Amino acid sequence: MDKISVIINGKKCLADKGEFLLDIAERNGIVIPHLCHHEALRGQAACRLCIAEVRENGRKRIVTSCIFPVMRDLEAETDTEEIREMRKTLLSLLSAEVPESQTIASLAEEYGKGDVSRFSKDFGNECILCGLCVEACSELGCNAIATVNRGITKKISTPYDEPSAACIGCGSCAYVCPTGCIRIDERNGIRTIWNKEFELIRCDRCGRYYITKEENEYLRQRNGGVQGELQCICKNCRQAETAKKIMETSLEF
Amino acid sequence: MKYPAERRFSLAVMQDIQRAFNYIPKEAMIEISEYLNIPFSQLYSMATFYKALSLEPKGKYIIKVCDGTACHIRSSMVILSELQKLLGIDAGEITRDGLFSVETVNCLGACALAPVMVINNEYHGKLTPQDLSEIIRGYRNASDESKDDLIISKEEGDGNV
Ligand code: SF4
Ligand code: SF4
Ligand code: FES
Ligand code: FES
Repeated sequence: MDKISVIINGKKCLADKGEFLLDIAERNGIVIPHLCHHEALRGQAACRLCIAEVRENGRKRIVTSCIFPVMRDLEAETDTEEIREMRKTLLSLLSAEVPESQTIASLAEEYGKGDVSRFSKDFGNECILCGLCVEACSELGCNAIATVNRGITKKISTPYDEPSAACIGCGSCAYVCPTGCIRIDERNGIRTIWNKEFELIRCDRCGRYYITKEENEYLRQRNGGVQGELQCICKNCRQAETAKKIMETSLEF
Repeated sequence: MKYPAERRFSLAVMQDIQRAFNYIPKEAMIEISEYLNIPFSQLYSMATFYKALSLEPKGKYIIKVCDGTACHIRSSMVILSELQKLLGIDAGEITRDGLFSVETVNCLGACALAPVMVINNEYHGKLTPQDLSEIIRGYRNASDESKDDLIISKEEGDGNV
């Protein structure tokens, strides 16, 4: 594969042709703030916080780094005065939209807050409509949630705001949400998400509740519908078990 | 079936149903999503995106009161509140007999006639609050007549057999 050399903030980075600028930067320890990008779910390009300045042939332009494929050698800057000013505007608008979000508040703090008093919004919702949750759910093949309505009433929800038959209660949507605004409630072995209640299964090893019946069934189907007795082991115990196995095999040598 | 079971016909199918029922019932939504094999959430997303589609029942006569700029400054809101009084419903609602529903829109493209409302496809311009009861009565009568027609033609049909 052709290697390309990209100079980001003065640091020389090697990259594969077509790699996204944000990925190259991250791999080289250069932090570009971003909200709607997740390494498993690409291409939302909704928040624009990840903007960077690209310099080529003596010309410069602003690009969205999470979807900007680097095709030839170039130079990029991720933290110029101009970019910081743009991020400040973006974050000011976002914080006007979701005044209660901690994530946005602390980012806005970092970039300095602009005056957005002329915009106001209802409290009680920290969603920035980035679409990551919808993408995560669709990636699973569940497609339980989507954007509903449009304009100022646009939101993410299940059809008719009702418990969705398609939802398996896995919580992936909540896991990827950058503002942490999807509520998961867990008590007495019941998980509630998107207005739907799920019964939880205990781990066969440690006895902790860790997965919904529906997600367990989903995983079972995906693994080719394993028949017979199925062990339910939570991630922690599984890791511990693998570690133990590795220890044992290495001790044999 | 008029349409092959492909996702790209989602909008066309919903439009047909909207035309036939004046809204898309939930059962129809479920049916479409199964037939076209499109996730329910995506179909619902689409249905709520387009203003031409409604998930709430609408009246036989849909009254769209314009509240665009030109109509607004010519007191479209007075027209609306008079209509609300006459029909006993708010914008977005439907009368109990299913005859009328009221909604507001932004500019019907007939600003010279402001204030304007359109009922199904008929425009009523240069409205004054006094005009409204007459207009509504007109539609009520038309609806009664069309019912009578229906009964007569049915009787005639029976006679022929
Ligand atoms: S919890 Fe439900 S909505 Fe969220 S990702 Fe899982 S299936 Fe989709
Ligand atoms: S709920 Fe979270 S992930 Fe989903 S659109 Fe809103 S902010 Fe993005
Ligand atoms: S992370 Fe690039 S636009 Fe949001
Ligand atoms: S503003 Fe009412 S028709 Fe244009």
